[in-house]
Amino acid sequence: MTDQIIYDRGYRTYDGPRTGPKGARRAVYREGIRRVLGLGRKARQKVFPWALISIALIAAAIFVGVHWAIGNIEESFREGVPTYGGLFDFYSAISLLFIALAGPQLLAPDRSAGALSVYFSRPLTVDGYLGAKVGSFATVVGAIYIVPQIVLHLGLGLIASEGFLPYMGDTLDILWKVPVTTLAFVGLHGAIVFILASIIDRTGIAAAAFLGLIVAGSGVAAAIAAANFTGSKWIGLLSIDQHPRIIRDYFFGDTVEYPAEAAGFEVWVSVVVIAVVMAAALVFVRSRYRKLA
Amino acid sequence: MGQDNVVEITGLTHDYGEVVALRNLDLAIPPGVTGLVGANGAGKTTMLRLLLGLLHPTAGSMRVMGHDPETEPLDVRARLGYMPEGQCLPNDQTAADFVSYAAQLAGIPKREARRRSSETLFLVGLEEERFRHLGDFSTGMLQRVKLAQAIVHDPDLLLLDEPASGLDPAGRAQMLRLIQRLGQFSINVIVSSHVLTDIEETCSWVVMLDAGDLLRSGPLEGFERHGTVQVEVLTDAARLAERLTNRGFDVTVDNRRLVVGPGGDAIEAAVVEEAAAVESGLIRMVRGSASLEDLFLRPGGEGL
Repeated sequence: MTDQIIYDRGYRTYDGPRTGPKGARRAVYREGIRRVLGLGRKARQKVFPWALISIALIAAAIFVGVHWAIGNIEESFREGVPTYGGLFDFYSAISLLFIALAGPQLLAPDRSAGALSVYFSRPLTVDGYLGAKVGSFATVVGAIYIVPQIVLHLGLGLIASEGFLPYMGDTLDILWKVPVTTLAFVGLHGAIVFILASIIDRTGIAAAAFLGLIVAGSGVAAAIAAANFTGSKWIGLLSIDQHPRIIRDYFFGDTVEYPAEAAGFEVWVSVVVIAVVMAAALVFVRSRYRKLA
Repeated sequence: MGQDNVVEITGLTHDYGEVVALRNLDLAIPPGVTGLVGANGAGKTTMLRLLLGLLHPTAGSMRVMGHDPETEPLDVRARLGYMPEGQCLPNDQTAADFVSYAAQLAGIPKREARRRSSETLFLVGLEEERFRHLGDFSTGMLQRVKLAQAIVHDPDLLLLDEPASGLDPAGRAQMLRLIQRLGQFSINVIVSSHVLTDIEETCSWVVMLDAGDLLRSGPLEGFERHGTVQVEVLTDAARLAERLTNRGFDVTVDNRRLVVGPGGDAIEAAVVEEAAAVESGLIRMVRGSASLEDLFLRPGGEGL
């Protein structure tokens, strides 16, 4: 057995490069992604995000499998099987759960642990901190939406009767339609969950509040809109969750008629609603954190 | 004010509405370990947050390591380390991850940050526990992690807000030893505390605040000159006491022994002079050092 000696090297000064505010923002961005995915945390914090990621990927693989199986029977039958728009719909519950997890995880623990006093004592502004958090959220949640779509797209290409490359060439519009639809979902849901996560310190309560607002709130607004009294069509716009779905339907074909559509609103109204909610969230969360810093 | 001062403050006032936290302070803090003392609510934390540029002064100006925290807050914060008084550590991160993260937030590149994280946790005595989650740490260990995150990026100036708060006597002693050690590494430190004995043990300079006013700023050695002088004479102690009292000194007599003061160097000169005048036969004269606490708690800050 060898003798093991621990040397006390004292305190070492640092004369190397310093990355400044940009490095601080990058650190917050990286740490945000690690927190959402449970990396560097205990095992129980990894289970939920990775289970949802796995389900989303498996759903895409199942879609490809269904297309392949049905295509083997009769190619024309595949037209009735949902593709990109349908996949958005299929894992909307998974995505909502993931957003309910990610938003509070990004904001609430820093606040409830008092860690903001450390972070803002570094060369980091409120805008830099929040911008990095939004970046982490957009990266992870965006990936939850887009990666299964990529799996589906590549899978459909591989089983396409016309061949992989011709299929890719024929479906170039997917390359912008999927990201734009993703932006609508991530932007709207992200804005709402960030507002809630900025005022609720407990992650579980913030997640429940988000899901409650989206599911129950939208249902109530839709019911009131259906009552058909003066001004009820405007209340239909408050059925928040319909707006990204209306944009998705605009690109990938209608599924159901949402309250706003029934009230005669065009798709651009949904775009405006999403933009207004995002802007309101930006102002609210920024103002809240300026007071906290 | 000299250019070597780590902090220079001119006419600094800060209020929270009607509550004035700091009132028209003029202050220069030299390099070394400085104690910022005052009762709770004296304005210590407000001053630290002003130095960090997290609060904006109502009036006056500051320079921290040559930068103005009001106009260059990011430049100031890049070179400062800050250990807050309250809880500031996320339970779900390991000590190594958090301290590394804190280093990266201060601009240290990722790989170097991880290396320095390990070294700094070693320095504060947490080398064995660095991969444990902070939620499993004791209060003393958490205080050491807070210190580690504050020094990991090699700051020019370290601000410690009540670093020994909540620690048991053994933990307090360890923390004070660590702070003394930082001074030996030539790190400039400002330690805020309402426990005056902590300041006496660790600091070379002291700034005293009371309800937002500056009571005193000066070297700690100077406080010793404000102690009492113990005198022993052969005879006529009562007469000597009377003459010293007539000259304005506080004197208590116990048989052949007198305690004169507190006060400055004038005491010794007066005792020698008056003892010769009454031929008391001066046997011994020893200056006792007043504790910081004695001085601070004296009404109106007499003798400061």
